[in-house]
Amino acid sequence: MKGFELIKAGIYTTIQDKGRFSFMHLGVTNSGFMDEYAANACNKLLDNSLDTNLLEILFPSLQIKVTQSSTIAITGAKCEFFINGEQKNIWETHFVRVGDEIKVSRILEGQRVYLGVKGGFQIEKEFGSYATSQKEGFGGLNGQKLVNNDILPYEENSTFIKRRWKEKYIPQYKKELTLRVILSYQCDTFEQDQIDKFFNSEYTITPDFNSMACKLDGEAIECTISNLISEAIAFGSIQIPKDGKPIILLKERQTIGGYPKIGSVLSLDCFKLAQMKPGNKIRFEKIEVNEAREKVLKFIEAFS
Amino acid sequence: MEIKVASVDSVIIYFDNNISKEISNKVKASYAYLKSLNNEAFIDIIPSYSSILITYELLKYDFESIKKYLEEELKNVKVDDDTNSKLVEIDVYYGEEVGFDLQRVASINKLTIEEVINLHSSKVYDVYTIGFLPGFAYLGVLDEKIATKRLETPRKKIPKGSVSIADTQTAVYPKDSPGGWNIIGKTTFEFFDKNLEALSQIDINTKIKFNQISKEEFLKQGGII
Repeated sequence: MKGFELIKAGIYTTIQDKGRFSFMHLGVTNSGFMDEYAANACNKLLDNSLDTNLLEILFPSLQIKVTQSSTIAITGAKCEFFINGEQKNIWETHFVRVGDEIKVSRILEGQRVYLGVKGGFQIEKEFGSYATSQKEGFGGLNGQKLVNNDILPYEENSTFIKRRWKEKYIPQYKKELTLRVILSYQCDTFEQDQIDKFFNSEYTITPDFNSMACKLDGEAIECTISNLISEAIAFGSIQIPKDGKPIILLKERQTIGGYPKIGSVLSLDCFKLAQMKPGNKIRFEKIEVNEAREKVLKFIEAFS
Repeated sequence: MEIKVASVDSVIIYFDNNISKEISNKVKASYAYLKSLNNEAFIDIIPSYSSILITYELLKYDFESIKKYLEEELKNVKVDDDTNSKLVEIDVYYGEEVGFDLQRVASINKLTIEEVINLHSSKVYDVYTIGFLPGFAYLGVLDEKIATKRLETPRKKIPKGSVSIADTQTAVYPKDSPGGWNIIGKTTFEFFDKNLEALSQIDINTKIKFNQISKEEFLKQGGII
């Protein structure tokens, strides 16, 4: 088996794809790329289909020995990226040969780095997906984050096409972000002044932020109902727990829950949120469901 | 019935706003019907106590069109009683070494341990919903005589297989997990099994009965004290 040999796996590197669907009725979460914009871009650069698996790298220090020639690309968070000690650009393709050494050493801006190889890694899908879900022990290699000495095989590929993502489409990851919210679910049970407060306040991302959820700190929002009959939770849902501090539920969220929800963050903005860090600032603005749909369709079209 | 927006690409169907067997049967029949449509635009269909969430392909529907479609389709759902459900029997060792809260549940409810066990193991339970953890099935409803509030402070680790109760519901922890339910016994039955094609022997149409077994039998089945 030839491909990548992980000399150092990094602190939290997982294999992801678009996610695992149609098992949520059994309590199995979706998982999948946290930032679909950067992940799609990585696959586009490599001419891969958009559900090809990639490495999602959080906190790098990744060191890889190449044992099979192919083309790679890195997108997402701005990071220090080297091939054989020479610094290289991200958001473009690079040819790697047997014996080369790839290093991703430090994240400078953003939070999640995507590293892909042409054709993807040849590992087994589990229940329809490559996505690693640690909670269930599904996907990736052994359902866990990658560890030192893991081998990630892929097919040899000797044709190289240099591609670069257009500069104007490379996102800048800032420390403040406005998330568009579709008022939904239990929004009717929130008093208007509480909804106004929600849209007029600035929130801070707490360290309680992972692929399951992002907990915010700031103005507490009151809800007229204290608990709710448990119901399924859509990607991006904003639940208001007893302390009134919003929690945005993300890819690895639990499938059902009993806290009232004021609405849901537009998926495209959840992808931007994936590049934020604890301490960064969040504001919310309203978007109607049909306008939101148009935005998502444009996003899909841009990558088709 | 009310259909509301949940997110840009999902809607939630509310059948009512309370927990009852009647509503649960409506949810189950509607879920089965929606699955039988084999609509490729449905990405996930997730039933719960009184609602169903559907995530759908935006290329195929917008909110108004899926709402209309679902309203029309759901008119065809026939709710019958539980004739189609299968019964699964689950062996439980109700011993204090594994049922950490057995004594307390008995005391709170002014019963003997034996009475608690009899009340828990004599009923057939419906699966109301599955979630929280993969394979965590919310079963109801308990005899009111043993209904017990969940713990003020959840435990950091509840062992896999722990049979538990909270208010008028009962459940089995499908894996080691933090949790606040009262633990009254333990089973070797697997609620979630990666080796099964369906991942679980339990779905919302299953009915469950718990059988009391001895410590010896539990150990023989591979149970861990």
